[in-house]
Amino acid sequence: MVLAGVRFLDHPSDIGIEARGVSCAEAFSRAAAAFVSLILDPSSVDATEQRAIVLHATDVEQLLVRWLSEILYLYDGCGYVSKEFRISICTPTHLEATIVGEPIQLEKHAVRMDIKAVTYHQLAVWQDADGWGVRVYLDI
Amino acid sequence: MFIRVDNYRYRLPASYKKGMKIDGMVYADAELLKQIEGDQTREQIANVATLPGLVGKSLAMPDAHQGYGFCIGGVAAADLNDGVVSAGGVGFDINCGVRLLAVDADPEDVRKNLEALLNQIFRDVPCGTGRKGSVDLGGKEIDAVLTDGARWAVQHKYGLEKDLARIEEFGCLPGADPKKVSGRAKERGHQQLGTLGSGNHFVEIQSVEDLFDDTTAHAFGVHKGQIVVLIHSGSRGLGHQVCTDYLDLMDGSMKKYGISVVDRQLACVPIASREGEDYLHAMAASANFAFANRQMMTYWVREAFRRVVGTGNIQVVYDVCHNIAKTEEHLVDGRRKTVLVHRKGATRAFPKGHPVLPGDLRDVGQPVLIPGSMGTESYILVGTDRAMEETFGSSCHGAGRAMSRTKAKRETSAEELLADMKRKGILVRGQSKSGLTEEKPDAYKDVNKVVEVIHGAGIARKVARLVPLAVMKG
Repeated sequence: MVLAGVRFLDHPSDIGIEARGVSCAEAFSRAAAAFVSLILDPSSVDATEQRAIVLHATDVEQLLVRWLSEILYLYDGCGYVSKEFRISICTPTHLEATIVGEPIQLEKHAVRMDIKAVTYHQLAVWQDADGWGVRVYLDI
Repeated sequence: MFIRVDNYRYRLPASYKKGMKIDGMVYADAELLKQIEGDQTREQIANVATLPGLVGKSLAMPDAHQGYGFCIGGVAAADLNDGVVSAGGVGFDINCGVRLLAVDADPEDVRKNLEALLNQIFRDVPCGTGRKGSVDLGGKEIDAVLTDGARWAVQHKYGLEKDLARIEEFGCLPGADPKKVSGRAKERGHQQLGTLGSGNHFVEIQSVEDLFDDTTAHAFGVHKGQIVVLIHSGSRGLGHQVCTDYLDLMDGSMKKYGISVVDRQLACVPIASREGEDYLHAMAASANFAFANRQMMTYWVREAFRRVVGTGNIQVVYDVCHNIAKTEEHLVDGRRKTVLVHRKGATRAFPKGHPVLPGDLRDVGQPVLIPGSMGTESYILVGTDRAMEETFGSSCHGAGRAMSRTKAKRETSAEELLADMKRKGILVRGQSKSGLTEEKPDAYKDVNKVVEVIHGAGIARKVARLVPLAVMKG
């Protein structure tokens, strides 16, 4: 899987995502795209239904965990697969986004694996000369 | 650095890292220790030792490998008065565990019908990502599952009353409170009861190849040449969400209790706090969901055997949790103490005579079930007094990963793996080819070596070796 600004990280039992962007919003958006690409083939998903997401957190790392956990809940709890992530506000403690996707159809969507959860293990969000970066490990 | 104690024990002194309050101890031989030293396991054992109120040692079993926060294969016990509970110390898959079933059928009949049997189980037990179970726990029904565990399934005709005596905690962990489980967790779980999941979860048909202790094996209801079935699964999305919810809560609550941790995944709160008590109530509810889950799958396996082989006479040998926190009595520094034992990828291994075991097992000890990797052996062990003295009555939980999923996929194609399994005469069905290669046998440590360390160290004793015939992977 090759996704712009994304690198998948090895872990002895699980997998990590490192995503970069010119802004925090872009790095978060790319992390979300990478996250979904582990669960299923995003090219099998049509962007037909929108969902609005508003999140608050105590810091930007927790915001990242809550952001990806929200996408996982929508998939595993609501049967909704997301494809596009349009983040309008992304401060260290507040995120607002519209995500676009559709209800899951197993006969249509090429599912790959279950992700159990988003962890705090070696979690990082940083800003450097090249823009923003995020790193997060997933339990699978 | 680790200090060798004997052939099977290596101590990590509290002086190894600033903030360690207790020693660490790894059960391993020289070769397994080398593997353990190859990732972050040692740091994670040390990090756990920095948590407040732990007693004894921060332990790691021979199948230990790097996890997140705690290592996988880790055991840590906390004082009930001034110790902490860590949601990450139990893990996301609360009460992930294994259940062994003993089949009362002519092994030749099973072998002749193996493919049909595997296909039937594959049809009946939903597996892989996104698959729903045949039972939808609408309304308050899910609360009944969370409260009653495997008993709920038995009451709904998905099992026999006698099954319950052969499940850790009799299939129902006390203290479960469905009100402490979020609506989100229930939404993730309500259509997943009786489903296997994906990743390393499996249903495997096996043959009992060797007996090391005939008397104990017979007491467990196992004999040489017999067909057995091993089920590995947990609390599905419900448990994953409960851990996510409480990790978030603990992360935000530590400050008020004056707790700081070296790794945020170790987030914890005092056991005797509102947050700690709420977590334990929700964890018990999730554990009960997992017990019911494995009970439902047992029903489908029985039905598959009945349909294909003509017998559904299948006994539960035992069902163990390997991701859990349990309130138990142990000897600490020579004094009897009630502690909260976190087992993160570790199995309870209580010896004969232990009062929590049912009557027949009290005479021999608790079965300890150790699944190998796909295509390799699994083991039945029995708990020992030595485990009570050293490891809070704990043993290992499997072979333990030795290679990342990415590397496993890079090294072997699904076709190569299936050809290898076919050469070994093992039938395989899986929902996803990439999922299969992630679970290839050499992505794990050698389960024989892991079990030899456990047996050699005396923290459980070998009873039987099982070999795979057919496996269904999630």
